[in-house]
Amino acid sequence: MDKPDIDRLALLHTASDAEETVRAIYQGAVDAVVVQGRNGPQIVTLSGADEPYRVLVERMSDGALTVSTEGVILYVNRRLSEMTGEDAGALIGKQFASLFVGEVPRDISTWTQPADGGVRYEVNLARGAEESLPVSVWAGPVALGDQPAALVTISDMSVQRRAEEIAAAERFARSILEQATDAILVLDPGGRITHASWAAEQLVQTSPIGRQFSDAFPLVTADPTQAGALERYSAAMFDSLLATRPFHGLEVRLRGGGDNGRTFLLSAGPLLDQAKQTVGSIVTLTDISARKRAEEQQTMLVAELNHRVKNILAIVQSIATQTARNAGSLDGFKDTFGGRLRALSVAHDVLTKTRWGGVELTQLLKEIMSPYRERVSIEGPPLLMPSQSIVPLSMVLHELMTNAAKYGALSAAGHISLSWQKDGSPPAVRMTWREQGGPPVSVGARRGFGTMLIERVVAYDLEGAAELDFQPGGLLCLLSFPIGSGLRIAQEEPPASAAALG
Amino acid sequence: MVAPTEGYNLRLYVAGQTPKSIAAIANLQKICETHLPGRYNITIIDLMKDPALAQRDQIVAIPTLIRHLPEPLKRIIGDLSNAEKVLVGLDIAPT
Repeated sequence: MDKPDIDRLALLHTASDAEETVRAIYQGAVDAVVVQGRNGPQIVTLSGADEPYRVLVERMSDGALTVSTEGVILYVNRRLSEMTGEDAGALIGKQFASLFVGEVPRDISTWTQPADGGVRYEVNLARGAEESLPVSVWAGPVALGDQPAALVTISDMSVQRRAEEIAAAERFARSILEQATDAILVLDPGGRITHASWAAEQLVQTSPIGRQFSDAFPLVTADPTQAGALERYSAAMFDSLLATRPFHGLEVRLRGGGDNGRTFLLSAGPLLDQAKQTVGSIVTLTDISARKRAEEQQTMLVAELNHRVKNILAIVQSIATQTARNAGSLDGFKDTFGGRLRALSVAHDVLTKTRWGGVELTQLLKEIMSPYRERVSIEGPPLLMPSQSIVPLSMVLHELMTNAAKYGALSAAGHISLSWQKDGSPPAVRMTWREQGGPPVSVGARRGFGTMLIERVVAYDLEGAAELDFQPGGLLCLLSFPIGSGLRIAQEEPPASAAALG
Repeated sequence: MVAPTEGYNLRLYVAGQTPKSIAAIANLQKICETHLPGRYNITIIDLMKDPALAQRDQIVAIPTLIRHLPEPLKRIIGDLSNAEKVLVGLDIAPT
């Protein structure tokens, strides 16, 4: 120290203060002095050239501080003051643990006495009275002169956390796109595809990312009532429309039929950023082909049902008229008409069970002859009868059965054998109804409306022929009718040879 | 000797992290907590950050502790490692 400085001290301080200052300097009790420089006071450290390190620490982007082993903050750099919002002077002398809020590890007191290698924790740094910052804290041992202490760095994790949150949100959104069964596309405001779901890529067999929507997905309207809804726009206009306005409920198909004619429901909605500004749109193409097919099938079924109901009503009307014409009494009419309606009902039950898809002949016969299952035997190869033959064949067999119950084998302890075979070209079914064990038969008395109905139905509805031979031992009825293209052999069925009814 | 109910207003002038500055902060905290619990207020002034502040209390050597209150103003220079000397210098009766 120069003599002028000492003189200045003497002038500025009381004699005892000056003496104390000089003594302290000479005794090494201080390690820095204030000297008067050209621009005011300057600090000169006496203990070493640590200035570069001090500047380095002051300018660090992380917070840095030194803490005594008792947890008292001894020094903080400028960045930590910024992070906490408090001046260095206010922080120095505070307890280290008071810097943090929220869940603080219980062993925080040991941070200020860290072992070699240091410790690292993630906690929340208090920032004013209300706020906090997620931070990563590292504390390691350091010696300040002969004083052991802890050197602590505090890194702001808020940017990293935000980046992690964004990455997690991106992964979440990506997984939705990958899992979705609909084709989902994200468009930028210009209509360019920036993201596409797995289903969207499958639809066009390649990644559509980077292409204009209308280029990657050329659409035409699928619903005639919406004709022209797409076609009135140019591709560029349509892309712009999709990317900027909500759009719902348009049924479309891919032009060119690369999608096997599937129908899609096109929807679009704006994609908003945090500031609620439109940054593009989300477009979905939902495959509604199955729904459309179901709708078409339902329409067809309703029409078919209407047709069948009308047919049945016509049949019922015809049966009623014919039965009434040949009935001897009202009771006779009721019995006969009721029996014929039941036969019609059984035929429809069988048709419903097989969904009008054809009925196996053995199964049909079992249903019709079920009231006499013990007394009727059937024998013949498996045959799948077309649905249109079921009602007439059921009516014919009902008449034969009723006739047998009234006058034939079933009116006594008789028996009926029913057999059939397929032969001829074109193929035909030849069915034999043979009654045995009934009362003696006399021809003239038995030819009534039932006999006439059998012959007419076989002739007109089955396009075949019926021969009724009233033999003394019992009725022999031969039915033959073509099986045509609608009749076929049920290959999978086992032979129904000599199967008893029931 | 000041009455025990009066508070101590202390200013410690340091120069960044020089060993004696660090030691002075730690020692002063310890002495105040031991002998003046609840009755002291310490302001730490880092002259490395703002050397002009040295003029306020006419600081020449660092570290320097200034007792502003209670009056009269007292000045202790050094790292405050000698607690007895600090207590005497600040007119604090040892507890």
